[in-house]
Amino acid sequence: MLSSGCSEPQLPSGLVYCSEGNPESFNPQQVTSGTTIDATSHQLYNRLIDYDPETKQFAPQLATQWSISEDGLSYKFELRQHVTFHNSHLFTPTRFFNADDVLFSFNRIIDPNNAYHHVGRNGYPYFQSINFSQLISSIEKVNEFEVIFHLNHKDASFMFNLATDFAVILSKEYADNLLLAGTPEDIDYFAIGTGPFKLHQYVKNDHIRYHRHTSYWGPKVDTQQLVFDITPNSTSRFTKLITGDCNVSALPRPAELSVITTQPNIRVVKNPGLNVAFWAFNTQKPPFNDLRVRQALAHAINKKKILSVVYNNSAVEASGVLPPASWAYSKHFDNNEYDPQKAKALLKKAHVTDLSIDIWAMPVARTYNPNAIKMAELIQEDLANIGVKANIISYDWSVFTQKLAKTDYDSVLIGWNADNNDPDNFFTPILSCSALASKNNYSRWCNIGFDHILAKAREQTEQFKRQPYFQAAEAMISNQVPIVPIAHAQKVVLKDKSITNLHVRPYGGISFAQTTQTSTKDKQ
Amino acid sequence: MWQYFFRRINLFLATSILLLLVLYIATGLFPVDKSFALSGIATPSTEQQLQINQTYQLQQSAFKQFIAYIQQRLSGDFGVSINSQQAVAGELTRVLPASLELAFVAGLIAIAFGVPLGVFAALTQNVFLQRLILAITLTGYSVPVFWLGLSLLLWFGVNLNWLPTSGQINLLYDIDSVTGVMLIDTLLSAKPYSFAAFQDAVLHLILPAVTLAVLPFTIVTRITRQALTNVMEQSYIRAAEARGLGTSKILFRHGLPNALVPVLKSIGLMLGTFASYGIVVEVIFSWPGVGNWLISGIYQRDYTVIQAGILSVSLLIISLSIFIEMLHTAINPVSRKELYASK
Amino acid sequence: MHLNNIHYEEKKATHLRRIWQTFIDNPLALVGLWAIACLILLTLLTPFIAPFSPEAQNSQAILMPPSWHEHGSVEYFFGTDDLGRDIFSRILHGVQLTFGMSLVIVFAALFIGFIIGAISGMMTGLKSSILGHLFDALLSIPSLLMAILVVAVIGPGLTNVFWAVGIAMVPQFIRAIHQAVHEELQKDYVTAAKLDGANSLQIFWYVIMPNVWDILIIQVTMAISAAILDIAALGFLKLGAQAPSPEWGAMMAQGLDNLLLAPWTITIPGVAILITVLSINLVGDGLRSALVPKRN
Repeated sequence: MLSSGCSEPQLPSGLVYCSEGNPESFNPQQVTSGTTIDATSHQLYNRLIDYDPETKQFAPQLATQWSISEDGLSYKFELRQHVTFHNSHLFTPTRFFNADDVLFSFNRIIDPNNAYHHVGRNGYPYFQSINFSQLISSIEKVNEFEVIFHLNHKDASFMFNLATDFAVILSKEYADNLLLAGTPEDIDYFAIGTGPFKLHQYVKNDHIRYHRHTSYWGPKVDTQQLVFDITPNSTSRFTKLITGDCNVSALPRPAELSVITTQPNIRVVKNPGLNVAFWAFNTQKPPFNDLRVRQALAHAINKKKILSVVYNNSAVEASGVLPPASWAYSKHFDNNEYDPQKAKALLKKAHVTDLSIDIWAMPVARTYNPNAIKMAELIQEDLANIGVKANIISYDWSVFTQKLAKTDYDSVLIGWNADNNDPDNFFTPILSCSALASKNNYSRWCNIGFDHILAKAREQTEQFKRQPYFQAAEAMISNQVPIVPIAHAQKVVLKDKSITNLHVRPYGGISFAQTTQTSTKDKQ
Repeated sequence: MWQYFFRRINLFLATSILLLLVLYIATGLFPVDKSFALSGIATPSTEQQLQINQTYQLQQSAFKQFIAYIQQRLSGDFGVSINSQQAVAGELTRVLPASLELAFVAGLIAIAFGVPLGVFAALTQNVFLQRLILAITLTGYSVPVFWLGLSLLLWFGVNLNWLPTSGQINLLYDIDSVTGVMLIDTLLSAKPYSFAAFQDAVLHLILPAVTLAVLPFTIVTRITRQALTNVMEQSYIRAAEARGLGTSKILFRHGLPNALVPVLKSIGLMLGTFASYGIVVEVIFSWPGVGNWLISGIYQRDYTVIQAGILSVSLLIISLSIFIEMLHTAINPVSRKELYASK
Repeated sequence: MHLNNIHYEEKKATHLRRIWQTFIDNPLALVGLWAIACLILLTLLTPFIAPFSPEAQNSQAILMPPSWHEHGSVEYFFGTDDLGRDIFSRILHGVQLTFGMSLVIVFAALFIGFIIGAISGMMTGLKSSILGHLFDALLSIPSLLMAILVVAVIGPGLTNVFWAVGIAMVPQFIRAIHQAVHEELQKDYVTAAKLDGANSLQIFWYVIMPNVWDILIIQVTMAISAAILDIAALGFLKLGAQAPSPEWGAMMAQGLDNLLLAPWTITIPGVAILITVLSINLVGDGLRSALVPKRN
């Protein structure tokens, strides 16, 4: 896009995104962290289908058409033709995308006998949490460009789950090559996909560089070069945006938004997010297995204060798990209002004295919680008021998640970003018994009745029939208090004014495929 | 002379082995499995585990283990990073040049400004100016580097928007790493924008280099002033004066060369503190060097990275300080003066 | 022997008085001494003069600017941080942690360093040389790296700062004392004392030590200022004192998020560190010129 006659040397064309951390892997199938999703799903890969939040319809991606059988157990997909995979120093594709790639991508997740099933140390946490392998009986290849998913039972969430950022399509040819070369683990690091950008270079703690995928099947990509500048410190992200080292910056702290008014070149892009920040108790560990203790702790915390200090009043106080932006949301009574006296009384009833608990707080900013450590400090003070001593524990993100999975912790401040528009996404992946197995259920709470309600909700396809079940699930959470929902935050990114067409969706990862840049120097 | 040289080499070897011993003992104390702390492989297969046991002699006596440890580390095998599962040695060679670049430029700034100011302080008769320079150097010596860095960042980066505040270069410049030193790599690059990239790299370097330069600058100024004041009182300077040589001639031919010897020595003694400051500066300005790498290593409890970072930085300091000491002895005026006296 | 001792005491007193006279003639050094005296007083009086508890949060007063600012309030003299904690009270409580801790560390390190340094200094030959090398190796690890090693082994926290900074500091004392003792040992008057039949303990305590105190005092002031900067740097890097501790470096780390919005949350602890270290260095500088008049 640069004029070639320009004598003055210029910055090469491209877009720099200041991201908040290192991706754990370059394969979103294996993670649930938003940082990894941002760096991979919409940049490197495509999914079979997409969900359009505007029209509230499914939209084609690698599948062009689909149909569902009468009994709701078979989903047939027609695949897009002439789709090319990326090439890299390790791989040059010899064929277009076809049904084999779809089969490989999903069999890797559901089939323990697949050569790639055990490659990678994290498993497939999202798919495990929704019990995906139990849902799918088989995936059938009808011909090169047609596949059928056979389900074991009806599931209204199935299409939504295929549209999530996790359900990406990998290259079978690449996988086979790597297996021959004896380096199967490279598939998740030197990633090959069909997406608008291809991975060029990843330097840990520093940057990820992507180049435009020149033979991308989709709409033309404007950005020739995309760089993720890995900047964990939120102030650094902000100053980089001011000094022009970044064009787009992730996760500003809500309080920083008030400084932005003094910066003429910076714009704010926001959207009410589909997310929830919560405080999860380890319900398998005493004294948190006692409902009264959980209720007492829930009554002790002052959400209003948290909202003003941590979110600068830009978030909505959570009464349940579902945010107001979800269609299944309805205002309901929160059993666990702020009442320190009640909290003290409940603790007394439970015969708990001199309670000292650990609060694990995420070290990084997340959309749903811009500063978990600060939140933990506020809660620490609230708990001190009811005579409970709290210790704050925090590690760097990667260590945090690993230690959390291994440790018998007391409680953790964490949250959930929705992956799709399906309300079930707020319950099954984080509170069901299958989520317990995938370590995504931070409350370690497994309630058969609760799972039963969710299963009922999945069997229905019409919204008005599903809503009562979700309300029942909400009521159960409010009564059993495995978690204390705290807030629903806005999803905000900052950009400089030259960037246009950057849309922030209420759920899932960020996409730069359609972003365009008007050069500030091109004035005519 | 040879004997002296030999003794220094011996000292270097002994210190390095002791350093390795300290690290080896610390590795055993890390709150993880020892073979994991040594190799960094997260989920080793049975063959890998056997391989690790073999390489580090884990079934053998502590002494043999230590020998194996030295062999591995000195042959450049630092294991893999626990966090990224990539070879630590590769990461180290990527971050080390960036740190050396920053340290070198900071040192250059310190000497370029510190020596003239020290000379000026020694020669000026103005008591007020002397006191002022003393106050400046003492303040510079006492200022916490992290606060200084943040203040410069806030003023020159954010409020005035003159200089970039973090990183080595605008990442849109895709510069291939040849030497690892960004200033050189940008000039070596064949890309059409290589000179623009160089300019951008220089701008990115200014704030961190100036912040890091403050400590050595104050020390260089102080020592130069002290040493020059001492030297100027020596008899050979008086003799030169008596012969009617001009002040500047005396200064540059006799005074300064002799005064710079203690400066050299003080630089050698300062290296450890300088390295500590460098780590903090790298963290503040997100400079992709060893310090930043090491600090994120400790946050991530990346034990292999911690060992490699500490070992490389300490070895660098040991060898540099011994080199400076040898240089110091080689040009020590005391020996020359003794020669003079014996005549 | 007894007579010798009295004679000796007299000489020392005049020596001290002379040093003191030179010291108080230096106005900068005197300012530093007063500042340190104030700090020690503050350390003792903190519970009585701090208006708030260091961890008391007030959600009604978040990020209040200092009192001299147009939006400031006298109630919060230095303003408040992002949890509504009074920065003035936190700074006062921080004196104990940052300054007090540095004193504890330095004297602990001095104690150990003194013993080892004295023993190794009195030794001669190979043993002395091996010990010397050992401490050179430890000395070549910068204090921050030593701290990282300690944190890697036992995790971050204020008590670990004690170990981290202390371990890094002991070799400095050992080396200084070792060298001083070693140098004195070569001198004629020591030989004279030896010929008089004094045993090594007597030589050490009555002959060598009086001549080593000077170096020790200078070393201690330098070590205190270095310790303060190290403690604060560790707090700043989140390896030392952890939130919500009002340790000055940790306060700066906690304020880092508000660098643009509320720079005073960083500036005030930074200035506190600067003033403390500066006054100690002023005193150190004054002592040095008083003790070694020729060099300055």
